[in-house]
Amino acid sequence: MLTFEKIQSAVFITIYVSIFSTLIAFFLSMIFGYLIAIYQFQLKKPIVIFLSSLTSIPPVCAGLLVYILISRSGPLGWMEILYSPIAMIIAQIVIIFPIMITLIIKNIEEDYPIYRDELISYGASKKDIIFILFSNKTNIYITVLLLGFGRAISEYGAAAIVGGSIDHFTRNMTATIALETSKGNVSLGIILGVILISLTLLISISLNFLNKK
Amino acid sequence: MKLKNLFLSLFLFFSISVYSKDFIIIQSTTSIANTGLLDLLASEFKNKTGISIRPIAVGTGNAIANAKRGDGDLLFVHSKKDELEFIDEGYGVQRYEVMYNKFILVGPKSDSLKISQEEDILSALKKIYNSEYKFISRDDNSGTHKKEQELWSLANIKTFDSDKYIKTGTSMASTLNIASEIDAYTISDKGTWLSFKNKNNLKILFEGGDELHNPYGIIAVNPEKFPHVEYNKSQKFIEWLIAGEGKDVINRFTYNGEKLFHTK
Repeated sequence: MLTFEKIQSAVFITIYVSIFSTLIAFFLSMIFGYLIAIYQFQLKKPIVIFLSSLTSIPPVCAGLLVYILISRSGPLGWMEILYSPIAMIIAQIVIIFPIMITLIIKNIEEDYPIYRDELISYGASKKDIIFILFSNKTNIYITVLLLGFGRAISEYGAAAIVGGSIDHFTRNMTATIALETSKGNVSLGIILGVILISLTLLISISLNFLNKK
Repeated sequence: MKLKNLFLSLFLFFSISVYSKDFIIIQSTTSIANTGLLDLLASEFKNKTGISIRPIAVGTGNAIANAKRGDGDLLFVHSKKDELEFIDEGYGVQRYEVMYNKFILVGPKSDSLKISQEEDILSALKKIYNSEYKFISRDDNSGTHKKEQELWSLANIKTFDSDKYIKTGTSMASTLNIASEIDAYTISDKGTWLSFKNKNNLKILFEGGDELHNPYGIIAVNPEKFPHVEYNKSQKFIEWLIAGEGKDVINRFTYNGEKLFHTK
């Protein structure tokens, strides 16, 4: 049925856009998070404060920012990525990257001195210390990934602005809910809402479970 | 190794969606997109030519602003004055009139103001203005909002009491939702009204007359202004729409047996 197809495409778009944005944001936060946490440099504090203040950036502002950049008249207009899933991924990265990197910095910053003091007495090099720290933090990575993904799938505004909400191409679940509800088609909105809430619930249950471990 | 796969798929993903440009972006209005007409036109056109259409459904004012930034190949909206201005400023090539429908005045079923007995739309609006009832404005620079402003100025009404004149700043369907919740009057295009599913207490109280004519025009974005636009593909779509099978698709397009748009 038409409705089923709509749901299917919205769920598919939401999930693949959010998986990409979460993985890329995770990759970036790992590199920069570790660098910022371990090395001491002049602008460290302002950068950390700036990043943590961006954790609550409203999705529409992130969307607007990316829109200005990638619009044809913007500095990155030549890339021709406005109204595409790539644009949605970038907008979501802007939203979730600060959350993910802040968490990583906080955790690594706390643990690095402990690991260092302990391991240095066994003659470990800096490289060894970072490697051991890195491989002992899997729990944190999963938490960070789940948090980022949860925020990415539930965001409304950013991906809708830069993706253009094109049917079967860039219309994700939250955009479909907003659109169908506005058209008076509340039942479809409810079905998608339930799917979305179940997904976020699943994520928060797994988070809870992980934190207890 | 996993990372390598990720990069590989990312690369493929980028190349597929960016470099094969067999699509055109239409900056369009919610009334054409949300009724489902644009999707239908897009799929028929794709079957015929292989060119896909990516519709961006925003208000007319927003669509024009986006097209002026170069973010679209075609403009398909309903505000003739602005469309001609768009061309005069060098952004568009030529305006083609595709189809029309009518604007309507909707309000509470009970019609205690007896709006349906009015002779013309202007006196109907004056009656609402002088009553206790609320009027809802789109307030989003859409074609419908522009029409509404034009009607108020024709009726010589310039100031509004903010308690009675509610600005929603959102799409037609959302505005109809609000009107049905609070028993207010509003102006809508007939297409959106017919396909709207939450009518509740609302009904059409006034329709007809030249003032409520609602023509839709299509304009290809000027390639001299924005060399990246797909002018030839856009022109192909325009021809298909006004002279070819597109016209039949519009005429065949009905909702519950009623035609939403008419061609000339």
